[in-house]
Amino acid sequence: MLKRALLPALALGALAGCGIFGGGPHREHYPDARIDPFKGVEGDVGFSDTIQYWRTEADLQRHAALAEKPAEQWKLNWKHMDLDRIELHPGHLAVDEGQALVKKLAARDPAFLACLGEGSADLKGKAAAYPKFDAALGRIVTVEDRIEHCAKRVLKEDLPQGKPSNTKISVYFKSQSAGTPIGVDLSDGNVMEAYRRGEELFYRKTGQLNFACASCHVPGSIMGHKLRGETPTTPFGDAAHYPTYRTPVGALESIQERFARCHGQMRTQALKPGDPAYADLEVFMTVLSNGYPVSVPSAR
Amino acid sequence: MKRLVLLAAVLQGLTFAGAAAAQGAAVPDYSAFPCLSHTLPCGELAAREPVRKELEGPLDGNAARGKQTAFARNRGNCLACHVMPGGSQPGSRGPDLSHFGSTGRSTAETFAMVWDMRTVNPETLMPPFGTNAVLTEQELRDVVAFLLSLK
Ligand code: HEC
Ligand code: HEC
Repeated sequence: MLKRALLPALALGALAGCGIFGGGPHREHYPDARIDPFKGVEGDVGFSDTIQYWRTEADLQRHAALAEKPAEQWKLNWKHMDLDRIELHPGHLAVDEGQALVKKLAARDPAFLACLGEGSADLKGKAAAYPKFDAALGRIVTVEDRIEHCAKRVLKEDLPQGKPSNTKISVYFKSQSAGTPIGVDLSDGNVMEAYRRGEELFYRKTGQLNFACASCHVPGSIMGHKLRGETPTTPFGDAAHYPTYRTPVGALESIQERFARCHGQMRTQALKPGDPAYADLEVFMTVLSNGYPVSVPSAR
Repeated sequence: MKRLVLLAAVLQGLTFAGAAAAQGAAVPDYSAFPCLSHTLPCGELAAREPVRKELEGPLDGNAARGKQTAFARNRGNCLACHVMPGGSQPGSRGPDLSHFGSTGRSTAETFAMVWDMRTVNPETLMPPFGTNAVLTEQELRDVVAFLLSLK
């Protein structure tokens, strides 16, 4: 009921500063950056405006010199790392491992693959439409959630989101859409509602440090500024390369595990991968990648 | 060059095979503060209201200790946003505090700001160090002594 009260308040843009909404708890929000979901990744124009450096491979190549400039590197949104195409790229190994896992599970029951592909064994292009609303399940489903659900339903096997085997299968599933523009379906009212919920979460201040995601990821915030060793970048385009292989720790990471890591920095209670709030946040983040090609496998 | 870095990363990945598991293991508990959950109690928790904290008695702060508190990543971590003399990898979003002691701010005013900057600017990015108990009152007194010593 609380969320019901929040949505109209958001729509009115009554979001700035300290917000006390309809009798709910005292909540503070970072001022609304007024992102237009229908612009997809192009919403970065007039937002961080860094998309001019990373929109296409040609743009990235033209601005490759930024990678060597500490104060400006953030403008590449780390997309220059997608240009590294070597055979031994650890993300590629994950594709192979994920594929082998799918084969093994589908050998036990081919219905597993058909469940992943919602009726057909062909996964090509399908991940680009995620997250989506699944009418039969009555909820927003991400690729990792689909994998968990199908393993459970068809094979009675636990493959929880956040478990490396789930993430590997996700890398394989999404690699089957590599290059396909992301198209989260905003014409679906349930998806739009999830986007609005995710949007509110993005601006909501939480935790001991009282930060919102927006405190570091919108213009005027810490975005583009040094935060000790790091520089937070635009949220546009990020969802495209997840799950990613994290070079510094040598492990795969799903986007929801990334949310949890930012929550750690914010001294905010992190949630489990698959938590409905994280699914809403993933919808919000993925809409900010609409129109940008799926870029899995990747390394960061 | 980059190839080498990545190759090294692969090898490193083998060495740190347990890192992923370890990563998920020790999740600190911040459930006493608001979170984003739709279901957990912290999702319904109120943010602590801004508090205008009066400084009582003499400051009695130790600037050297305050410097340590300000620099430590797991304490004040003021360097995340501010330049402070002697600090490594300073952040750039907040004002440079290298000469804060010469700006004419009073002790009480400085104390109130670091206790809860929202009383000065409701939309500040600076964490409410006192209100949210990031630092203790004595630690904040030390930090204020350090700030005022920066001439
Ligand atoms: C205190 C600052 C801070 C806050 C608050 C914060 N982040 Fe981050 N975030 C960072 C930094 C620094 C990085 C690494 C640099 C980058 O890619 O932006 C990062 C990276 C990310 C990435 C990966 C980007 C990529 O290209 O792979 C995602 C996704 C992300 N943040 C989402 C969030 C979400 C969602 C929230 C709120 C739950 C949040 N962040 C809150 C600082 C922050
Ligand atoms: C997340 C970023 C951030 C962190 C961390 C941070 N600050 Fe700030 N601080 C700011 C910003 C931004 C301002 C500018 C004023 C505002 O936003 O209201 C500021 C302003 C100040 C001022 C007032 C400066 C002036 O001349 O008006 C002082 C003093 C200060 N900070 C001290 C500290 C101390 C001490 C710490 C660590 C205990 C700290 N800050 C941590 C962001 C931060």
